[in-house]
Amino acid sequence: MANTKKYWKGLEQLDKGSEFVEASNNEFAEHLPVTEFLGDKENLDDASTTRRDFLKYLGFGVAAASLAACETPVTKAIPYLNKPEEITPGLANYYASTYYDGNDYAPILVKTREGRPIHIVGNTESTLTKGAINARVNSSVLSLYDSNRLKAPSIKGEDTTWATIDNRLGKELQGKKSVRVLTASVISPSSQSAINSFLNPSVEHYNAAGDPIGSENITIGKHVVVDAISYSGILEANNESFGKAIIPTYNFEKAKTIVSVGADFMGNWLDALQYVNDYAQTRKPDNDWMSKTFQFEASMSLSGTNADVRVPVKPSEYGAIISSLYAHLGGSGGAKTAYDARVKEAAEALKASKGESIVVCGSNDKNVQVIVNAINELLGNYGNTIDVNIVSNSKQGLDSEVAALIADMNAGKVDALLIHGVDPVFTMGAAFAKAMKKVKTTVSFATKMDDTAAACMYVCPSNHALESWSDANPVTGHYSLGQPTISPLFDTRQAEESLLRWSGDDSSYYDYIRRNWESEIPVSMGVFFTDFWNKTLHDGVVDVEMPVSELTTAFAGNVSKAVSAVKAIKGSGVELELVQNMAVGAGVGADNPWLQELPDPITKITWDNYATMSPSEMKEKGYEIHFGQEHEMNVIEVATKTGKIQLPVVAQPGQAKGTIGIALGYGKAVGNMEEVTGANAYPLVASTKNGVSYYVSGVSITDVELDEPYHIACTQTQQTVMGRDSVIRETTLETYKKGDKDAYNPAWTLLSGETETDEHGHQHQVRKGIKEFDLWGAHPVEGIGHRWGMSIDMNACIGCSACVTSCVSENNIAVIGKDQVRRGRIMHWMRIDRYYSSEHQPLGDIGETHAATKEALDINGISTYTAMEDAADNPSVVHQPMMCQHCNHAGCETVCPVAATTHSNEGLNMMAYNRCIGTRYCANNCAYKVRRFNWFNYIAYSKFTDFNPSQDDLGRMVLNPDVVVRSRGVMEKCSLCVQRIQEGKLDAKKAGTQVMDGAIQTACSSSCPTNAITFGDHNDEGSKLVAERNNDRAYRVIEEVGQQANVYYQTKVRNLKA
Amino acid sequence: MHKEAAIREPLILGSPTYSDISDQVLHSIEHEPTKLWKVLMTIATIAALWGVGCILYLLGVGVGTWGLNNTVGWAWDITNFVWWVGIGHAGTLISAVLLLFRQKWRMAINRPAEAMTIFAVFMAGMFPMIHMGRIWMAYWVLPIPNQFGSLWVNFNSPLLWDVFAISTYLSVSLVFWYIGLIPDFGTIRDRATRPVQKLMYSLLSFGWTGNAKAWQRFEEVSLVLAGLCTPLVFSVHSIVSMDFATSVIPGWHTTIFPPYFVAGAVFSGFAMVQTLMLIVRKAMRLEHLVTIKHIEYMNLVIIVTGSIVGVAYLTELFISAYSGVEYESYAFLNRLSGPYWWSYAIMMTCNVISPHLFWSKKLRTNLAFTFVMSIVVNIGMWFERFVIIVTSVHRDYLPSSWSMFYPTWVDIGVFIGTLGIFSVFYLLFLKYFPVLAFNEVKSILKSSGEQYKNMTDEEFKKLHPVFKKDIK
Repeated sequence: MANTKKYWKGLEQLDKGSEFVEASNNEFAEHLPVTEFLGDKENLDDASTTRRDFLKYLGFGVAAASLAACETPVTKAIPYLNKPEEITPGLANYYASTYYDGNDYAPILVKTREGRPIHIVGNTESTLTKGAINARVNSSVLSLYDSNRLKAPSIKGEDTTWATIDNRLGKELQGKKSVRVLTASVISPSSQSAINSFLNPSVEHYNAAGDPIGSENITIGKHVVVDAISYSGILEANNESFGKAIIPTYNFEKAKTIVSVGADFMGNWLDALQYVNDYAQTRKPDNDWMSKTFQFEASMSLSGTNADVRVPVKPSEYGAIISSLYAHLGGSGGAKTAYDARVKEAAEALKASKGESIVVCGSNDKNVQVIVNAINELLGNYGNTIDVNIVSNSKQGLDSEVAALIADMNAGKVDALLIHGVDPVFTMGAAFAKAMKKVKTTVSFATKMDDTAAACMYVCPSNHALESWSDANPVTGHYSLGQPTISPLFDTRQAEESLLRWSGDDSSYYDYIRRNWESEIPVSMGVFFTDFWNKTLHDGVVDVEMPVSELTTAFAGNVSKAVSAVKAIKGSGVELELVQNMAVGAGVGADNPWLQELPDPITKITWDNYATMSPSEMKEKGYEIHFGQEHEMNVIEVATKTGKIQLPVVAQPGQAKGTIGIALGYGKAVGNMEEVTGANAYPLVASTKNGVSYYVSGVSITDVELDEPYHIACTQTQQTVMGRDSVIRETTLETYKKGDKDAYNPAWTLLSGETETDEHGHQHQVRKGIKEFDLWGAHPVEGIGHRWGMSIDMNACIGCSACVTSCVSENNIAVIGKDQVRRGRIMHWMRIDRYYSSEHQPLGDIGETHAATKEALDINGISTYTAMEDAADNPSVVHQPMMCQHCNHAGCETVCPVAATTHSNEGLNMMAYNRCIGTRYCANNCAYKVRRFNWFNYIAYSKFTDFNPSQDDLGRMVLNPDVVVRSRGVMEKCSLCVQRIQEGKLDAKKAGTQVMDGAIQTACSSSCPTNAITFGDHNDEGSKLVAERNNDRAYRVIEEVGQQANVYYQTKVRNLKA
Repeated sequence: MHKEAAIREPLILGSPTYSDISDQVLHSIEHEPTKLWKVLMTIATIAALWGVGCILYLLGVGVGTWGLNNTVGWAWDITNFVWWVGIGHAGTLISAVLLLFRQKWRMAINRPAEAMTIFAVFMAGMFPMIHMGRIWMAYWVLPIPNQFGSLWVNFNSPLLWDVFAISTYLSVSLVFWYIGLIPDFGTIRDRATRPVQKLMYSLLSFGWTGNAKAWQRFEEVSLVLAGLCTPLVFSVHSIVSMDFATSVIPGWHTTIFPPYFVAGAVFSGFAMVQTLMLIVRKAMRLEHLVTIKHIEYMNLVIIVTGSIVGVAYLTELFISAYSGVEYESYAFLNRLSGPYWWSYAIMMTCNVISPHLFWSKKLRTNLAFTFVMSIVVNIGMWFERFVIIVTSVHRDYLPSSWSMFYPTWVDIGVFIGTLGIFSVFYLLFLKYFPVLAFNEVKSILKSSGEQYKNMTDEEFKKLHPVFKKDIK
């Protein structure tokens, strides 16, 4: 039965009284006294602003206010009115050009984007350098955008116009007969020609009627060459030995034995860029032979770190060593030295490779170089590995001529001095500045207000090299052209063009070079000059058969005189060796933030100049031998007869006892920094009767007490590898040649937990390869599509660090300054780890390493580990480039809470900056510690304004538009230049082909002068990468941890006996 | 045979009546703050403001204001985080686990311990936030449906587990604490005379009536929440430990971490409760409610957990040597003998050696000694986290990246600041909240009060003719 019961809430509902019905129809049960509540009801009803109006106004007001608050800054992108034919926005153009700074010569390719040069790589077309560049070359693109460049010509510090300068100088030079043009070595034929025509103007003669009756060339002065680093000794020795003051060319590719006494031929000695690639070809252990290098030196140089045998000796002993080497080879050389065993060993090696060896010496003493020549002559190296007919033009400065110039200036015999490409006040100091005061007219062509320009009356700023036309003839028969890649940014004029103007030639320098080439350079038969010119301009380089006028072969040096002169060289007290480092060179990099922030390949110190000293000597003196973030460095005053400077002293394992080493070239201010970075060591250069000397004896060292503690910014504070043979693997050539991989590069195996029974019935746990142990499902990358990776040959890597600055340039890496580098926050995506061997654990064969570590641990336990932290007195050295290893099982990827770092389907470990919230867990969990965090807003924070180029509009022009500039609080790291990979894939697709092996190069691989870095596709079976990966030397760093890196390393093989 | 417990010592000393207990506990709420409170509040506020200033500077300028570097990506930030989370363990353990085990002595200390827990978790939670490079994107760690495309959080990441663990722990602890407060708020409301006070406490008390049904539901809810909280006590610090345990860094990658961290957390939490309770009972004259016996019980927990922690340390050390893994053994040798040996020494002394002094009954019932020990243990536990985090990561696989960590004034300022903020919260709690769960304490007055324990059966019968004397 249906329930028909009905319940009422009250009688009203039952009755359906009108009052109840009415109330139930209302929205609110009771009358809401709104108007009463608000006050005067009548006034309110009469008000003109209704509730709806009020809401309208309110809504409009809120919307307007929020719109006003949301205004975004307007950035204007201005399109081309007429688009240049060759520029497609978004695509890079490459132009072949030439780099020459007075020291280094390199044919280069300049990458431009939308008309801005942004990146420099070596020109591999060059048969001379084979594409080799160093860090200074690729960093020079930044100096183009230096806002401290001179922006207009000036007279006595007042800005002026070119017309005024031309006018006034014209008048001042009128009728002058003693003008001097002071330059660095000129390797440019056109530049030389311009200088010559300026110094030898043709003067028209007129008859009484005013008609020209002919012209004659008169000489108004002389051209003097001064090199920032003098090689006068070699020039003079060759003059004596072969009758020509030349620098020979060396062919390191053929040299089986190289003995270098104080010559850093892989770093900064002579034309190192022309040697390194050749040298690296001789370091391939799979070839028939591998070169052996002996290095006798005081300070640890780049060549020293790579030498098979390195002997620390004092600079005063260089001559004696050369002399005794000559004696060991059968010449009438000098007596034995304290290092006779080593010298003998070197002599034996040289004897065994006669005609296939090179002996070089870094001394600027003519007599020493004469003996070096005698040795090379004795060994039959001339004509084989050393050529005195095909000569290098890169060093032409003779100390005697420079001395004569200063004497002339002091005597008031110089009317005008024009200075180009050198900074003599910086390199020669007060002596030159004083002499300059005697010269009435001084002209500087400097691009920045350097010390010399500041002392000159006329400053006629030249263009930056990337804004200029140039040519070069670095070596007999080799020519290259340099073309501008951007219009001059400021009101500057190329020095050569100024000279032409002043010698009455109104043609542009481009026309001048072309004319010059047309008349000077022999073109093969049947080739039009225009075609030849265009091809050369495109290629950047050209080799020309030059008719050699007279062949020199006969050695005619007076060896016995040289030997007795060398015998007289005596060192006393503490000896100083003045060297150049890879970043600053002779001074060209001193004001370049990228180069200042480039860790020195050996000490790993940035942003500073310092004196290097043997750590054991420092311990005796009570100096601090570690240089961590808070270590207080000892500052010393180094005084010679010519000058004194204050420097921190740092420990350099391998520094000869009783010597210190100081780098030249420092002492310029970077950006807008108030203080110069590092002290200028040029005042310490000694001048002897044989010319300048970079070795100074009897140096006094006194401790300096500073008010504030002095810190050093070093990127690697741990010196040794602590016996970790899965980080560094190295062996000797003898072991390697035996062909037993397990002896030097054993594969990792782990106990699997499974047992097997052997023939004796014993049970053993089965060992299995690393790959068998896998916690994670593999990324599906093997054999599918691309799998990008790298192989790094530690035999080829010499540690020069060109890759590091190349990476900085390609990937817009922030400059963070000394203070932040000191705090261990360097942003470089790739670094070169440098390990010294320690006394307790020599870097050597893996078996030896293992045994040594085990023994050390078993016997001494804790104490040995601590002792292992210090490098040996004369350590062997390893350079290991290290960047993101793009692990297939990356530690970073699993721990990011927001999946900002993930694995690409092409094997890359990717980083999405926009997704990153900055927990830094990935960096902590990275076994290789290659991740870099943006601790501050480097591109805007005022703390970095003075030196971070990205903080000014000009400096920002160097940024690569393909790579995001990272903001504060995000993680970054090596992407394997993913933008280049993407570009390479698209190019291949457009061309309708597969991506060819080698078509894609990362910034580091493209800049490596020794081709130590191979980039490629692991899935491309025919690729060079796969071949390297599968060879016996290949290993992965800390492979046993199981990250399955995509980057492989090749075991370092030293040419030593096991 | 059934085990009969020995006669326990009374948990309430003296002969307070129910209303005495209310009066004593509510004295601070119903009276003007004391001079001591004002002084402490001033100091705490200054420290808190300093900390807030440091945090604002940090957020304004960047994480670089800390002393971290490329190698050491976490240092004081995560040390402080783990330390505060660890401290936050005692409260829940006391109120939940001890409730499940029907430990009556918990009643006198669970409220202040839980308050400590909540404030400590606040402090802890702040560190993962401010340690981020981009705190304004912090909400990305939450799995919120979004319009960024297919972006989602990474469930593999222990940091994400942390987010869930800490937020769950905080919310459950907060609810548990608040439920416990309701009856006490009801009492305060009933006694309040000033209108604002009355209004506030009546809002806070959620209309508590105090009838039998309400009490029954209260007990049920407490039991359910205790059941929920108990696994959380173990899960939170286990998950925090996985931030390290799931990594590849030698010294972090340790399977022993979850139980080891939980024990350490309880260890440090109890020490912090000791520090606070010794001050509170003295300042608020609650010695007869929070007795020496309570202090002793807590010291016993400290011995047990301290021993667990000690065993864990030694196990870790042994395994590192026994494993034969080069990096692992070096990591521990480095802790012992490397540049941070002193922090390892502090940790070992404070956490492993010092708790064993409590084996002496004289020492563990000595208030001054207990107070000093409670501080020592917390220093030790801070260093434990510092040792784990910094000395592991500062020297890991590639020696080229080895580095040191040097704290900056911002590192120190933020840490001092959190101590200050915590103290401000705690002092406000002492002033405006019922410090003890006095309504619960009252429930054991008859069973565990000294006065009743010492009565003869006759006396008791006279007083309560209906009930039997309960001597347990």
